[in-house]
Amino acid sequence: MPLDHRRLCGPEESQPPSLWAALAAEDEDEEGAGAAPRDPCSLRPLFARAGLLSQAQGSAYVELGSGTKVLCAAWGPREAAEPGPGRLLCEFRRAPFAGRGARGRPGGLAEREAEREAAAALREALEPAVRLGRYPRARLAVSALLLQDGGSALAAAVSAAALALADAGVEMYDLAVGCALCRPPAATAAAWMLQPAEPEERRAAARLTLALLPALNQVSAVLGGGQGGPPEDWAQALRLGLDGCHRQYPVLRQSLLRAAQRRDAAAAATAAAASVA
Amino acid sequence: MAAAFRTVEPLEYYRRFLKENCRPDGRELGEFRATTVNIGSITTADGSALVKLGNTTVICGVKAELAAPAADSTNKGYIVPNVELPSLCSERFRSGPPGEEAQAASQFIADVIENSQMIVKEDLCIANGKLAWVLYCDIICLDYDGNLLDASVFALLAALKNVQLPSVIINEETGLSEVNLKQKSPLTIRKHPVATSFAIFDDALLIVDPTAEEEDLATGTVTIVTDEEGRLCSVHKPGGSPLTGAKLQDCITRAITRHKEVKKLIDKVIKSIMSK
Repeated sequence: MPLDHRRLCGPEESQPPSLWAALAAEDEDEEGAGAAPRDPCSLRPLFARAGLLSQAQGSAYVELGSGTKVLCAAWGPREAAEPGPGRLLCEFRRAPFAGRGARGRPGGLAEREAEREAAAALREALEPAVRLGRYPRARLAVSALLLQDGGSALAAAVSAAALALADAGVEMYDLAVGCALCRPPAATAAAWMLQPAEPEERRAAARLTLALLPALNQVSAVLGGGQGGPPEDWAQALRLGLDGCHRQYPVLRQSLLRAAQRRDAAAAATAAAASVA
Repeated sequence: MAAAFRTVEPLEYYRRFLKENCRPDGRELGEFRATTVNIGSITTADGSALVKLGNTTVICGVKAELAAPAADSTNKGYIVPNVELPSLCSERFRSGPPGEEAQAASQFIADVIENSQMIVKEDLCIANGKLAWVLYCDIICLDYDGNLLDASVFALLAALKNVQLPSVIINEETGLSEVNLKQKSPLTIRKHPVATSFAIFDDALLIVDPTAEEEDLATGTVTIVTDEEGRLCSVHKPGGSPLTGAKLQDCITRAITRHKEVKKLIDKVIKSIMSK
């Protein structure tokens, strides 16, 4: 492995302790799978908050009940060198401690590939929602950081990025809401499940991530693969995913409204203080 | 009117405040911003802490892995700190490999761990020459509003106090290691270093806990790291305007007071977790 001179490196190779505890962990996993087959259409609790970073123009934090935590920051239009329509630049980073298993080496090839793929998926999902035609010769930047991966990470990142862009005051047609689905291996009841947790996602035979613009009812991105069964099953999965997106939409809108109210209150307070002084 | 003056002549704007011995955000010269700490929020990491120093937000996640000790120090484990300044924390940082400031901060944290003997590497060794713990401490800045080093050291300390290592026994007959994830024990932390940063203005005035704006206007910075017995662990003064011995002594005294405040905060948080 080439030496990364910019970071402090430990030993060349290290393994997570869970490798040696494999036997015990597998028993636990099987118990978990058989214990309570959860309702495939149930959505886990979602927490969204916009406007929390002081240095970025817009920011959002989304947390899913399964433990996925995504923080996203967005910057409004800045001068770009090339002529042409506005461009959206997306970045997706995983914290090294985000995964349940081994620590991801930050500069490694596999990490960079995965991050680039996720960034491309993010751009695909967000571009239809942003009014790029209003920002010629400008670039908008979005940067997402995954703090903890508890399943459905990309879907949460899409929602967080859309919220951050809206919080930054970028003109958009609608918020993009992300939803993930997975289909467990064929042995058990092979029905598609909404918003899988990390163990379910790991064991899945097929995965799907959707991004929807709910008010316009238009799908902006579909990303998926695996052994999903006949095409009717995939169509059914899409419908389930769209329904999941619609159900999450009110929560995201509420968080945006609250952020705007907080900003107004803060501005009023400083204006009052300035007029008194 | 004041906002326009602040944009055009920031240094003069600041000097007007400093003459009255206060700062634009209302703090005294020796006052810290509100500090909050949250422990154990990242469940995928073995230990984690989120520290907010005013607007500066830093999160530290510790992951413990197993590796063979190095050939020249067979009874020592490893501690690998890394500070990351992603592009989302401020506009001044670009995405990509760590820049100068991140590398300098990582080296500073590594030095603090080494000089204060916070964790003795021999404690991390499980079997001499065969197996040792590696603690990867990743410190990510989420919001950069000055005083990164203080927040990072604090986050590192809080995260390490929160780490629970599973018990590892080496089976004598097979020579393989057995890990029991159910039995966890905390790390032995010998010393609790706390960093206090100062910014130097006009070669004379010292202000504590600078914000990003103050850091840009300052002519130099000093960071003092002390441990709980009031002893000095390290003094970090990367160039900048010169400082007299008396002023340095003032800084050290202030750092010792700050240490007591921070230690009280950490103890309170740890106790509230243990009682659950």
